[in-house]
Amino acid sequence: MSTVMTAPANTPVWVDTARCKACDICVDACPAGVLSMQQEPTSTLGAMISVIAPDSCIGCNECELSCPDFAIYVADKKEFKFAKLSKDAKARQEAIANNGFRLPTDYKEAN
Amino acid sequence: MAFNYDNYLRTNKMPTLWCWGCGDGVILKSFIRAVEKLGWEKDDICVVSGIGCSGRFSSYVDFNTVHTTHGRTVAFATGIKLANPEKHVICVAGDGDALAIGGNHTIHGCRRNIDITLILINNFIYGLTNSQTSPTTPQGFWTVSQKVGNIDPTFDGCKLAEAAGASFVARENVTAPKKLEKVIREAISHKGFSFVEALSNCHINLGRKNKMQSAMANLDWIDSITVPKKKWDALPEEEKMNKLPTGILKQDTEAREYCESYEMVKEVQQGKRGKITQDDFAKKI
Amino acid sequence: MSTREVISSGNDLAARAAVDAGCMFFGGYPLTPSSEVMHTISDLLPKIGGTAIQMEDEIAGVAAAIGAGMAGVRTLTATSGPGISLKAENLGLAQMCEVPLVVVNVMRGGPSTGLPTRVSQGDVAQAKNPSHGDYKSITLCAGNLEECYTETVRAFNLADRFMQPVFVLLDETIGHMHAKAIIPTAEAVKEGIVPRKTFDGAPEDYKPYGVEQDQPAVLNPMYTGYRYHYTGLHHDADGFPTEEIETCRKLIDRLFKKVDDFTDEIELNEEYMIDDADILLVGYGSASLAIKEAVNTLRAEGIKVGMFRPITLWPSPEKRLYELGQKFDKVLSVELNQGQYLEEVQRSMGRLDIQKLTKTNGRPFSPADIIAKVKEVF
Repeated sequence: MSTVMTAPANTPVWVDTARCKACDICVDACPAGVLSMQQEPTSTLGAMISVIAPDSCIGCNECELSCPDFAIYVADKKEFKFAKLSKDAKARQEAIANNGFRLPTDYKEAN
Repeated sequence: MAFNYDNYLRTNKMPTLWCWGCGDGVILKSFIRAVEKLGWEKDDICVVSGIGCSGRFSSYVDFNTVHTTHGRTVAFATGIKLANPEKHVICVAGDGDALAIGGNHTIHGCRRNIDITLILINNFIYGLTNSQTSPTTPQGFWTVSQKVGNIDPTFDGCKLAEAAGASFVARENVTAPKKLEKVIREAISHKGFSFVEALSNCHINLGRKNKMQSAMANLDWIDSITVPKKKWDALPEEEKMNKLPTGILKQDTEAREYCESYEMVKEVQQGKRGKITQDDFAKKI
Repeated sequence: MSTREVISSGNDLAARAAVDAGCMFFGGYPLTPSSEVMHTISDLLPKIGGTAIQMEDEIAGVAAAIGAGMAGVRTLTATSGPGISLKAENLGLAQMCEVPLVVVNVMRGGPSTGLPTRVSQGDVAQAKNPSHGDYKSITLCAGNLEECYTETVRAFNLADRFMQPVFVLLDETIGHMHAKAIIPTAEAVKEGIVPRKTFDGAPEDYKPYGVEQDQPAVLNPMYTGYRYHYTGLHHDADGFPTEEIETCRKLIDRLFKKVDDFTDEIELNEEYMIDDADILLVGYGSASLAIKEAVNTLRAEGIKVGMFRPITLWPSPEKRLYELGQKFDKVLSVELNQGQYLEEVQRSMGRLDIQKLTKTNGRPFSPADIIAKVKEVF
């Protein structure tokens, strides 16, 4: 069996970067600001997905369901205790969405 | 452990050749989840595709797979199905494939009500060949073959399928993958011809000159033109024409399926029953 | 081989031959003068558990037939020239995917709608290359009622041997001819069936198109645990699309080599009274019936004439034609077209001085036509 689906230890959401085409869709789908595109000169579109705030992941699976390239995976709810959707997470998501799906470099968490 | 898509994929043939953000991958995923939920054996499934970006759908799944000629998907699938009626045959075709060059086969597959599923991936454009007008391109849109704006009226694939006799008709968006999975699951387990129109994005070749250059912009547009069927039914008539209803639009479990009808022919020819007459069918004309 | 005597037509015999040869699927569309093939087989197949379906058009007819072939059963379609024109693209797919299929083409007058109820041998050149691209056609041509049966049987075995479509050319005269014929028994045909090769090793070792350079693909039936991909694109050993230069070159080379290296398994000719002849008549199909009669009449008058009849038209019997071209000064090619096979005779013999007798008015040759031509030119 391929190892892509096997959750790394204590990880809510993980990416196979060899499959990711940097389309932004998962970043848009995430309600909790867990994901952000980051500059990556070696990638075709000059960007690559990054899991920037795993602790905020609520396990909703939206990123996985909407990823066209089988690149992002979310742990099973039975195997991982996910966070609840917080105000901070929502604010981060909004900041990312309003900045071309990248976390602003000067972004500061409220708390 | 996440959902094991790789169990159903030819992972050595990936990544897919689809552009970044292409909805085809989301439809592929939704289809795989539907198959997993039904618990079907990979060996018992045949996926048949035509030409276009959607044509590559068949090559990535670890089923029995056939990549045919432009538009002829349902015709090939009819032979494949009749050779082994107990197996599952799923066609995948684009809007140009199934509604333009292959329109005749779509019509007659529906009419026979043969137990095949046709997943029509509608991205409103000829994407693979760089933005020519398709039968579903909205009027007034830019296409490379109608640069001053498309004047051709659009086709509603679901209405066509319903009128032609498909016994299951549904439409869903790639922006709603869970719903998409559900209608595909219902479609492929339905006995008879099932038609699923999956609305998908092509921000590269539909969106580039129609102000939807990103996947998200194109997907937002699809969301803006679709309404769940119940809400659509309640819309005033003048608004209905500019929205596409989503969800299951037709589900007839009584209609006679073609392979079963053909069993009657075998029984007559083998002397097991008398000739087939109008009394064998509910519909007389 | 044990035989039986039947009274039947060419089209009916082709359909019966298909069923006796193990055909389990027919997909087609009505087209004069071939429709009787569908009429007969639509009764025969359901009797034995097979399926015959009239599709919505010619394209769908061949597509359904190829689909059944991909699934693994012996499969047939029947049509005439206009139908082949429509089926052409999918016949190319079957060549590329290496799907066995038998196509009975009952030729009529063309081009276009032409003379639908009249005879012609106008599809001979088309049969060589109906679709775009490079591949090697196998085309058999029945010259009498018996051969409508035996050549259809042979076509099914060749299709499975070489894993590609095989044409059986009939024409309106022979397809609609209704008379006595002595044909092999169904049991004898069954004994001669050689099914397609299959792979029975571990599924992970299975490479459907990964075969020796002179061999056809080994395509296991669907749903048997060997999942693979069919595509009309250039493909690799798995059947998966590729543009890799060497793989693409080898694929098309193999489509030729698998036939070219084994033409002795395909070639079949009739040579009638040529040993002591001074004049050679070359003809095939129903025209050969008139040619044979002309040979007999001319010989009774003291003119030593013989006939060479290719039964396999493609690949052509080029070596034998070359030998005959060396032996005979006087050669007359007789065809119900404007000389579609004449060019092949010229090429094979390496000569341009071949006399020709052609006819394209929808009427068959009379032996008198041929006798008059022989006396005129030689």
